[in-house]
Amino acid sequence: MSLLAVSGITKHFGGIIANRDISFEVAPGELVGIIGPNGSGKSTLFEVISGFYPPDAGEVRLDGQRLTGLSPDRVCRLGIARTFQKLRPFAGMSVVDNVMVGALTRTHDVRHARERALALLDRVGLGEKAHAHARTLSTGQRKRLELARALATEPRVLLLDEVTGGVDQRSIPGLVQLVRELHRDGLTLLVIEHNMRVITAVAQRIVALYLGEKIADGAPDAVTRDRRVVEAYLGQAYAG
Amino acid sequence: MTAALRSMAPALALFGFAALVPLFVRDAFFLDGLILILLWGSVAAAWNVAAGYAGQVSLGHSVFFGLGAYSAALMGTKWNLSPWIAMVVGAALATVMGFVIGFLSNRLRGPYFVLATIAFSQVFLIVGSRWRGFTSGSEGIPVPFRPGFWTLGLVEKRVWVYLMLALAIGLYLIQLYLERSRRGYQLAAVREDEDAALSLGVPARRLKVAAIAVSAALTSVCGTLWAQYVGFVDPFYVFSVDLSVRFALAAVTGGLGTALGPFLGAALITVLETYLRARFGGIGAGLVGIYLIIYGVALILIMRFAPQGLVPWLASLSGRRRVSRATGAAGVAS
Repeated sequence: MSLLAVSGITKHFGGIIANRDISFEVAPGELVGIIGPNGSGKSTLFEVISGFYPPDAGEVRLDGQRLTGLSPDRVCRLGIARTFQKLRPFAGMSVVDNVMVGALTRTHDVRHARERALALLDRVGLGEKAHAHARTLSTGQRKRLELARALATEPRVLLLDEVTGGVDQRSIPGLVQLVRELHRDGLTLLVIEHNMRVITAVAQRIVALYLGEKIADGAPDAVTRDRRVVEAYLGQAYAG
Repeated sequence: MTAALRSMAPALALFGFAALVPLFVRDAFFLDGLILILLWGSVAAAWNVAAGYAGQVSLGHSVFFGLGAYSAALMGTKWNLSPWIAMVVGAALATVMGFVIGFLSNRLRGPYFVLATIAFSQVFLIVGSRWRGFTSGSEGIPVPFRPGFWTLGLVEKRVWVYLMLALAIGLYLIQLYLERSRRGYQLAAVREDEDAALSLGVPARRLKVAAIAVSAALTSVCGTLWAQYVGFVDPFYVFSVDLSVRFALAAVTGGLGTALGPFLGAALITVLETYLRARFGGIGAGLVGIYLIIYGVALILIMRFAPQGLVPWLASLSGRRRVSRATGAAGVAS
């Protein structure tokens, strides 16, 4: 039985088709990567799953429950959390207050939420920064903040949009390690990632998109050798 | 002293001072100033609930103030009802209108929302001034003076001070709740980034509408008390954009989204305005209207040196002093 089921998702923007009939499933505890060149529809798919864009056709189910048509806050309360590719910290608030907003979705007790937020900040390695203003964090630290904030909502499935994007090289291993640990602890993850080396190392399965369509779905080494995937990334000349 | 208590110390001092004044001061002019400071501070605080805490800047809040004021005037003259009942009715009407504006806030963001709220108050101004059969139009309505507490016919200004003080403390506590409660954190998140808040399970739309409705009801309560105190309501004043700007001005100069800010801002603006008008205004003055120019320059200077408002500015001053003291001590130690 799959935990997250995406079936037949289609999304147009005017004449542009961002997603065409995309279907795949994610099993409990699985870490699935989504790859594809720029403009292949990865982020649109995330927006649809998290409830920010209503799809033109198809539906998303979490553990059998239909999410399509629900508002993003409902989708989150039902168990799907996400991070944003373009980071969106609450810049005027402290780091711990940022995470508390997530925690307060699950508890009504402010003090309890603060404790949970502090524990999560330790978990992602931002414990020392808890009382700093969010706007003073570096990009790598902001990624960790977004992770902590999303985790605070106690998701059943976590959607990560570009964990290593825009982060300096030295910060990448730490972030990858963190994602690995979360997965090892039993979290189900769906991860968009540009960095091929990163995604093939962490994902159990990879879904490849190209021009809005799913072109491959399978084990990382099979997908990266797939003729259509190679074509999509490097052009026909390299596909052998 | 706990941190929570220490953070409230300035408010305790301010409201404590206001509570002591009537015991020692009989001067009507002075008491009148204090009453108006507490009243304008309360309205600014009510405005702050929507603008400062929920991030929904409205320049149409005079609508709610006017609804409260007209409720007192009309229900008093036409049906001889108590202003306390008018207060409830006005607040209920304002809540409904708050939902309407709140609905707009989910369609329009930023400047478009501000413009819509201004247009909204203009509609009320026109209705209030043209519907002569009901509102007496632009002539306005005198609020009947009926002695007694139930009818709020109070000659004694000292009683008004305590009434307005109760209102002010109530609004201060409501704002404090918005700083420290679950709903407060969620509203702050909506104000900072609505989409990010949504992604974390915050029901952003519902919260925004609720904040605007509460802000509207509180503004209306202030309007009712104002009408009873001043004794006269006219549409070109209570539904004007000027009045909405006045609420905003007090809250912004004091510190947007701070609990004490609206009261400090109202105190500063009221004192400044009253003093300048008395000093430079009037018929004997050499240059008519010069006090407005000085007033404007003073506001510009405040915004130049305390762009976040008085409360954050004062906090940063005391913070800097604390830091310099700490480094001074370290210097001695080494």
